[in-house]
This record gives sequence, C-alpha cells and structure tokens, in this order.
Amino acid sequence: MRGTQGGGRGPGLSPVDRRTLLFCNFILAVAWGRVNFTGDQVLRVLAKNEKQLSLLRDLERQKPQKVDFWRGPARPSLPVDMRVPFSELPSVKAYLKSHGLAYSVMIKDIQVLLDEERDAMAKSRRLERSTNSFSYSSYHTLDEIYSWIDSFVAEHSNLVSKINIGKSFENRSILVLKFSTGGPNRTAIWIDTGIHSREWITHATGIWISQKIVNAYGKDHVLKKILNTMDIFIEIVTNPDGFAFTHSMNRLWRKNKSSQPGIVCIGVDLNRNWKTGFGGNGSTKNPCSETYRGPAPESEPEVAAIVDFITSHGNFKAMISIHSYSQMVMYPYGHSLEPVPNHEELFDLANDAVKALYKVHGIQYIFGSISTTLYSASGITVDWAYDSGIKYAFSFELRDTGQYGFLLPASQIVPTAEETWMALRTIMKHTLNHPY
Amino acid sequence: MQPRRPPLPALLLSLWLLPRLALAAAAAAPADPEYNDVPGQPPAVGLPRGILQLAARAALHFFNYRAGSPSALRVLAAVQEGRAWVDPQKGCKVDLVFSTEQYNLEQEGEEHLGKCSARVFFKNEKPRPAINVTCTQLFDKVTRQEKDYLLYKQMKQLKTPLDIVSIPDSHGHIDPSLRPLWDLAFLGSSYVMWEKTTQFLHYYLVQLSSVKQLKTDDDSIDFDFTVLLHEFSTQEIIPCRIHLVWYPGKPLKVNYHCQELQSPEEGSGIVEGSAMAPNEFSNF
Repeated sequence: MRGTQGGGRGPGLSPVDRRTLLFCNFILAVAWGRVNFTGDQVLRVLAKNEKQLSLLRDLERQKPQKVDFWRGPARPSLPVDMRVPFSELPSVKAYLKSHGLAYSVMIKDIQVLLDEERDAMAKSRRLERSTNSFSYSSYHTLDEIYSWIDSFVAEHSNLVSKINIGKSFENRSILVLKFSTGGPNRTAIWIDTGIHSREWITHATGIWISQKIVNAYGKDHVLKKILNTMDIFIEIVTNPDGFAFTHSMNRLWRKNKSSQPGIVCIGVDLNRNWKTGFGGNGSTKNPCSETYRGPAPESEPEVAAIVDFITSHGNFKAMISIHSYSQMVMYPYGHSLEPVPNHEELFDLANDAVKALYKVHGIQYIFGSISTTLYSASGITVDWAYDSGIKYAFSFELRDTGQYGFLLPASQIVPTAEETWMALRTIMKHTLNHPY
Repeated sequence: MQPRRPPLPALLLSLWLLPRLALAAAAAAPADPEYNDVPGQPPAVGLPRGILQLAARAALHFFNYRAGSPSALRVLAAVQEGRAWVDPQKGCKVDLVFSTEQYNLEQEGEEHLGKCSARVFFKNEKPRPAINVTCTQLFDKVTRQEKDYLLYKQMKQLKTPLDIVSIPDSHGHIDPSLRPLWDLAFLGSSYVMWEKTTQFLHYYLVQLSSVKQLKTDDDSIDFDFTVLLHEFSTQEIIPCRIHLVWYPGKPLKVNYHCQELQSPEEGSGIVEGSAMAPNEFSNF
C-alpha cells in the first residue's frame, strides 16, 4: 500500500470528487490511528464490459458503504481495486460471484501490511537518524557502522564507493570504502582499522578519517593532489566477527571467531596469519593464546580477502594498518631484527609523521621498526605488504599508553583521529611524491 | 583523563633514548665486575626492547603500593635517563630517572610532574623484581591524607551490595561516584602488577570486572574484587581475584590469585599457576 504519507485534505473541503475524499479520509484515519483495518481486504476485479463496470459503480453507491475504490471503475480491461471492510466481505464477494465478476485478493489483511510498513518506517527513521546525526565522537555497533557506510556512500557517491571483498568466518560481509576521482586502476593506498576487534579507537578513527577525506577534498590542496592521482581504500571493520563479539559477549576479544574441529579454544590472531614470517617466534601455535597464528598462512577468510584484493589490484603503493594502544608509528619488520632495504627512508618518514601528529595535540608517539620498537611479531600485515612490494608499509598504535588502554574514553575519539589523520596525510603525501 | 604534554627537553631526550636503546647501554658505564655491558649487540640478545619503560612502570607499581594512598597514585610520564645491564647468569639491572604525573587527572591538584630515581633488578626472568625507588614529593602530605580520608568516607557511604558490572564500561567511562572504588582497585592491582612483572612481562590494569564483597562496617575497608590485567608482550588478558584491606595511613594488605593461560589440552582454564600461589599479606 502506497501513499499513506502526507496529510490528506480534511473532510469538508469541496468540491473534490468522492473518490479522492474517501481516499483522503482513509489516509487521515490511518495517520491518526483511529481506525482499525484488521481483516479488511483489497480485491482486484477485472470488468469485461461496460455493464460490469456499472455493476461495480452500483456497489459503491450502496449504504452502508460496502467498498471504497482505490482504483475506481474507469474502462473495461483496466483493473478495479477496492477496499472491502471485513464485515462486508461475505456480501460483497457474493455480489461479485452472482454477477460473474472475477476477482482476486490483492491484500489479505490491510492492518498487517500497515503494521509492517509502520515498523519498517520506524526502523529506517532510526537508522536515518543515526546517520544524519551520526556521532563521530561515540563508539558504534557493527550494524550502525554498516548502516553509516551505506548512507556515507550514497551521500558522496561522486567520490566514494563500497566494495565487498569477501565474507568472514561467521559469514559477515567484509567491506572496503574506495575513494577515487576516477581513472582505471590508479596507484593506491590501503588503510585498515579494527583487525584486532577490541581496539575500538581504530574503527572510530577510520570512520572519522573517511568523513575527513570527503570534507577536506575541496579545501586541502595536498589531499586533492593525492586523490587526483591515486585511490584510497579504507577497510574499517577488518574483523567483523570479533567486533560483534566485543559488543555482545567480551569487550576484550582480540582475534577472529574461527574454530577448528576438536579444538576447545576459538579465534586466530589476524595479525599473525599473514604469509611473511609465518610461524616465527612472535606468534604461537597454541589456539588458546591471543597471538595464535592459525593452522596455516592466510587460513583466515578475513586475511585471505585482503590478500586476494590487493594482489589482484596489483597497484598498491602504501599500506597502513592501524592498531591500539601504545602511541607508535612503525615500519617492517616485525618478524626479524634485520632492517629493510629502505629503512632509512622509512625512519625519516615515520619521524615526519610523528612530528605532524605531535603538532595537533602535543601527543608523543615513538617510532622505529616493529621488532625494535614494540616486540617480535611474526606473520603480520605490514611484513607481508613490504615483501609483496609495497615499500611504504606502516603500522600505527594509537592512544593511549596504558591508562585506559583498549577502553579509551569516547571523548578522545576526535582528538585521536585528528592527530592520526595528519600522520597518515604525511605518509600519503610522501607516497605520492615518490612514485615507484 | 586528558593526556598532557611533558616539557620539551624531556620529550626529546626520551624520544632519543627509546629507539636507540643499544647506544644508551653502550655509553661509557663504570666497569662493574659483576655485570657485562651490552655494547652494540641487538637488543634481543641482552636487553629486552622497552626495558627502560618496563622497569619504570614496575618501580611505580611498587612505589604506589608502598605509599598505600589511593588518592596519590602516580603514573609514568617519561623516562629521562636510563641504563641497563644484563648478566646472563644473574639477571638484568636497570638504573633510571623518570618523571611522573598524578593518575587521577580529574582530581584537583597542581599539574606538575614528579621525579623519581630507581634501581630495578630482575632476577633472570623471575617475577617480583627487587626495587629501590625514591620520588620527589608530588602531593602535599596533609592534602594527601585529607584526600585519602575523603575517599575512605566515600567508600563507606557506598551502598552494599554493589551492583557493579564493569569499571570503566565498554566506552571507557567511569562514573564519578565509583571513582574511589576504581582508585582502590588500582592500588591493590599495583601490588599484583609489581609482583608479576619480569624483564619480559609487564602489565596494565584494564578493568575492574566485578566486586565480590565490600565490607566497610569495621574501621578498615575490606574489598574483594576481580580485575582484568593486560600483559603486553603476550597480549593476554589475565583475570585476577584480589582481596585487600585498607585504612588511611596504614600499610595496604593484599592477597590475590590470577588465572593462568589456557593450554590446548586443558579445556577449563582453571590452572594453578607456578608462581601464582596466593600470597598471605605480603608486607615486609
């Protein structure tokens, strides 16, 4: 049933033809919720000739009112739709039968349909409300984020599109936002947040940065230059199953939710499941451990999806994987102390990124290679990225340094995102200016 | 709790120090016949990365525990000077100078930094490092006693049984009325975190996950609760049951039991840890 929105014109406004008046009354009645349509049906009648049409018109003129036309009798061969109140159904159907008028039931119970539609509208209003007034300074659920993604893409479709790169272990969609001003297979920058589900500040930062990109594109000449040459891809919820779990059952869950037969513990550390350095000291084979590497490299669908996407794209030049906490900007390797060939360039770039970050709110980040700055970690995202030829591979650890840790207060979302953006922008600018 | 910027010179020094650990260790140190310097060796062989910060935090856990004052808790601001030695037979020794700031930044108080110097000794991967630490006075003694007593009174006014779920909540929020509970839990956890720290393992307090019992009818506060600790190098979350008894100005009495990591064979996860037998009122 359509057209229940919008105020009708009230009764007493004439001259309007009766049909319109009835229709408007109907709308008003619905809007005011005063009438119950339980059991009422809409019948569709096909009149074969003028005689049958006039029989239908007769039905309408009877008192008490037996039918109310939604699509009135006009010409033979055009269907006539009429609402029949529940109490009148037997007599109306008998009338139609006795005059050889064939009919079908279009709507079996109007009230059911009305209820369903009301619910659907309320739901979409709720979702709409949460995107029109989507709070960038709050933490959100998976549904809220996915709903925001759809609205965000719709609002900025000239610049942003959504790509589904695969399904998680529990069959959730894995979504990536693409920021592009056109051009086939441009060089690209990858940013992921939320690979460890308890690091909520990272998803929130990814969302804020997405909004920042669309807002700043016209005003920031550096960003404009970047997007005129390169595409930016952002995967906000890199571990959707884990993220859902942090809301439903365990706020401090880190891994994904994959399980293996016969093994009690579930979950693989998605940042130990990558091919480069897989199985080294900085991961474990204990499925109950937080740094469990998984049964094999890329065994996890969440990792495989990214590997497939980036490999088949073939033109990524920078990859930044965002975590919390510790306040660090780091480059490969994590699995080895051996410096990468361009470690001096990466050192300088990390230094510049950290300085740009510091300028925003005075927050100190330290920097260096992962293995020398943080700890030994094997089978990690950025090591794979680097060995796949992506020279500018960085791993961030956002705020704080342990006071709140993973439970960073929402009031710190925007300041954290603002400073992180400046660090990312520094890296993206360097990538743009150093094509390879 | 808003983060702050420490004075710039300290910032530069600590930034310089941390990624260049090996150099700091190689700086001319008095030749101590018992300990070997580790000049030019990669950190993994001798010094664990981040050892200076780790040692500073351990020293502060110990300091906070000994001070026994939930309204005078300190956290690490920055390491200013540091030197570490490793003797493969004996252990790891760290000398440090570092700045601190007060933990409860919402509290009124001057926003200045304290300064501590410490010697921390890790006996070969064993927990419970030996610590000597002295700090400049950050809080005025009288003010501190008043605040402790105020906290004590706030605790006694809490209606028990408490209907606590988690502090902070999932969004990092701590209800101001429950802040005393959190500070006292942090104090008790400081003892636990000091005891569990080794040169490779260090801890942060994540959450007060439940309150088993809070008895305030006697003079002292008798507080039985569980916390979640985050061990950084393994990324594990460790639940610890803690029982403490506190009265303002008196030494803190703590005992605790932490859950150990599940192994693939043991499904239940209730494993008696090796060094984690409950400690009876471990004051000395």
